[in-house]
Amino acid sequence: MISPFVSWRSLAGARKLTGKLSSAVGLRVTLLAASALAMGAAAGGATFEVASYKKLSLAQLMDVEVTSVSRRPEMLVDTASAVQLVTGEEIHRAGATNLPQALRLLSNLQVAQIDSRQWAITARGFNNSTTNKLLVLLDGRALYTPLYAGVFWDAQDTFLNDIDRIEAISGPGATQWGSNAVNGVINITTKSAQDTQGGLLTGSAGTELRASGGARYGGTLAPGVFYRVYGKYAERDSTVTAAGQDARDAWHVSQGGFRIDWARATADQLTLQGDAYQGRIAQATADDIQIDGTNLLGRWGRTFSPQSTLTVQTYFDYTHRIIPGSITEHLGIFDLDVQHRLPVGDVFDFMWGGTYRFMNDRVRNPVSLAFYPANVKREWFSGFAHGERTMLDNRLRVTAGVKLEHNPYTGLEFQPNVRAVLKWREHQRFWGAISRAMRTPSRIDRELFAPAAPPYALAGGPSFESEKLLAYELGYRIEPSPAWALSLATFYHDYNDLRSLEPSATPGGPLLLANGLRGKSYGAEVNLDYRVTERWRLKFGYTALHVSSTQKPGSLDRTSIRSQALDPHGSALVRSQLDLPAHTAIDLTARYVSRIAFHNVPAYTELDLRLSWRPVEALELAVTGRNLLDAQHPEFGADLPARREIERSVNASFTWRF
Amino acid sequence: MALLTSPLPWRRPSVLSGSRPGISPLRRLGAVVAVFCALLGASALAAENANQKEYQLKAVFLLNFVQFVIAWPEGAFPNAEAPIRVGVLGEDPFGGALAAAVESEKVGQRSVVIERVARLEDIGRCHVLFVAKSESAQVPAIIAASAGKPVLTVGDMTDFARRGGIINFYLEGPKLRFEINRTAAERSGIKLSSQLLQLARLVGPPVSSGDR
Repeated sequence: MISPFVSWRSLAGARKLTGKLSSAVGLRVTLLAASALAMGAAAGGATFEVASYKKLSLAQLMDVEVTSVSRRPEMLVDTASAVQLVTGEEIHRAGATNLPQALRLLSNLQVAQIDSRQWAITARGFNNSTTNKLLVLLDGRALYTPLYAGVFWDAQDTFLNDIDRIEAISGPGATQWGSNAVNGVINITTKSAQDTQGGLLTGSAGTELRASGGARYGGTLAPGVFYRVYGKYAERDSTVTAAGQDARDAWHVSQGGFRIDWARATADQLTLQGDAYQGRIAQATADDIQIDGTNLLGRWGRTFSPQSTLTVQTYFDYTHRIIPGSITEHLGIFDLDVQHRLPVGDVFDFMWGGTYRFMNDRVRNPVSLAFYPANVKREWFSGFAHGERTMLDNRLRVTAGVKLEHNPYTGLEFQPNVRAVLKWREHQRFWGAISRAMRTPSRIDRELFAPAAPPYALAGGPSFESEKLLAYELGYRIEPSPAWALSLATFYHDYNDLRSLEPSATPGGPLLLANGLRGKSYGAEVNLDYRVTERWRLKFGYTALHVSSTQKPGSLDRTSIRSQALDPHGSALVRSQLDLPAHTAIDLTARYVSRIAFHNVPAYTELDLRLSWRPVEALELAVTGRNLLDAQHPEFGADLPARREIERSVNASFTWRF
Repeated sequence: MALLTSPLPWRRPSVLSGSRPGISPLRRLGAVVAVFCALLGASALAAENANQKEYQLKAVFLLNFVQFVIAWPEGAFPNAEAPIRVGVLGEDPFGGALAAAVESEKVGQRSVVIERVARLEDIGRCHVLFVAKSESAQVPAIIAASAGKPVLTVGDMTDFARRGGIINFYLEGPKLRFEINRTAAERSGIKLSSQLLQLARLVGPPVSSGDR
């Protein structure tokens, strides 16, 4: 078991490892783990497995999976979208310690770490630190700040061991997703309380994730009523500047939450869940940022028949963010969502729904910039309908849908799409889609002024309209055997009315945000899932992307065309999950991201490695090394001395079930 | 640290300062590929163990089959404490799993012992006989040798039960299942629990008198 290690070390160059890692605890822990693995491999054997099987009843024995056929849900194959999926088990095996690290496992997403807590995450281009073209949902709740229609990733977390799966759809979301699903939708689903019974304790210590601990307990309140509660705490180290100096952006967050699921034997399902968090983030030149938030979500679903379901969901989401030197924000969101699916006749499937969202956003402006009006209350109404028709003897399925959205800035917006899936032979699918999607204005597009008092250098965007996208997509999937599956998606996106900065009509007047740019992007996303043996699984993903934007006639903005799209033209992901004897495993994730030209972020290749060992069924010990190939490397940000770089890190963790 | 960064024009980037020195990313990708090749060696080891889990499970199933026999016919055992003999005929696929499964197990007062069976004549000494896949050509002879004797024949070959074996393992997707030939069970005189019969797929013509 030592040999793969030695080969890797000699290949990567001994000099690389004479850096920080060799003198740190990290290397010693890693070597200790490797020798433990070797000893573990020698011991163990048949006795341990057999003893655990003897505890099962005959009926339970018949439920054990002898060969783990890949659990690819049927729906994925037949989806008329470019969708990729990671399961909770894969996230755990990759050693992800927060949601953005889990998102790195999806090769159709662009995930770049900016500093210790900020991430630039999108799909299909136009990535920047305030990227606004991606919709992210956690159990149906939109993780979204109306300030810039993006995600504050430092405030989004859950008990990672309880994640069931994360789906990433690249391209405009189907009509039933919420607003701003322009370039993609990320849908994070946690397991139901019924599937997370019992206790689970996790803890880890290391160089970047300095210390973290979490506990979850699940039980039953009454027959058919399941609950779980969890608490977690994490303390993260700061990143470094290009020169290797401490960037002083360390932070810590504690979070707790619960979930209650009630499924009646008949057709009703009821879920209630909520979380609360609190954290502090250090800043290099000011006091700590303080964040806290609470949310509560309820969902009721009734199944009338396998094709007919009704779901009603509502949630409250409060967040507070105090940034010394910048804004303070208190935000409350209320959302109500209805979806009804019903068959009409034999070949037609109809779905419709509506959403109401209310937002109360109160901002305290600093001196350097301001949102005017500072306090706003806004409402969104949207409805969608789509119909699905199967034809050609169940081989072709065509969906046509439309979403109508009324937003407080531009009124009514109309987003139609049409999609089709063709079943070509048993295991092959072709799909295609044409969609129109709108990125509706957020507060930053209309209401941002700088500085806070006149004369303004930037005076908002009084006539800022929605950005528009017309997307053409074509894809292919093949799953010839349970051992491997390949999917390919190609796209051409035509953007119009992208955000630009225009000088105002009066000379010497402020800049205004307007819609002066057009853009286009095209590319391909390839994903291959290969189960080499029952114990070794490989995944390859490659995304090729070309993004460009130009000025519309009359636009005078020459910088935004490059600064809006900070996208690498190619990125690759390789993942390996290998189960070894004596309940050990080696899991490896390697990624390559090509250069971001405008900001001079060099191309990089990085490697995460996780070694795990289960000495007894209930306990798992693991050592994870992240970003191992470089002592530090940048992923995002303008090429300034203050640009943060991500350091090589290692941490040791345990997971105990009881 | 301000919340708003790149879209704003006054944060102009500095003059591009050239590419970063060090090992090129593509060379590093090659290093990563080499790690995979090293892991291929590890996977060869892993492939050997692919079958282990299946036979560990089958060993525990075998123990269950023994426990689910309600009654052995008269004369199957010389006395009340005689052990139940489980024989393995042919190339043993279990490794240590079968021995681990029956270790210190008792069915009533009887312990369970494992034996290697080399010759057809010795079949009658066993109460349970596991026929390994290596003996697939000998199945008719084995069934004939065990006819009328109280031997619970178990196999994991495609039509072992249809050819007269009593219990046969098969895979349904990733899960292990078993089928029972009730006629063969009747002929051996071994009474199997109805619980076991309910969990099994039944093979062969049904018998007129129920044993529930």
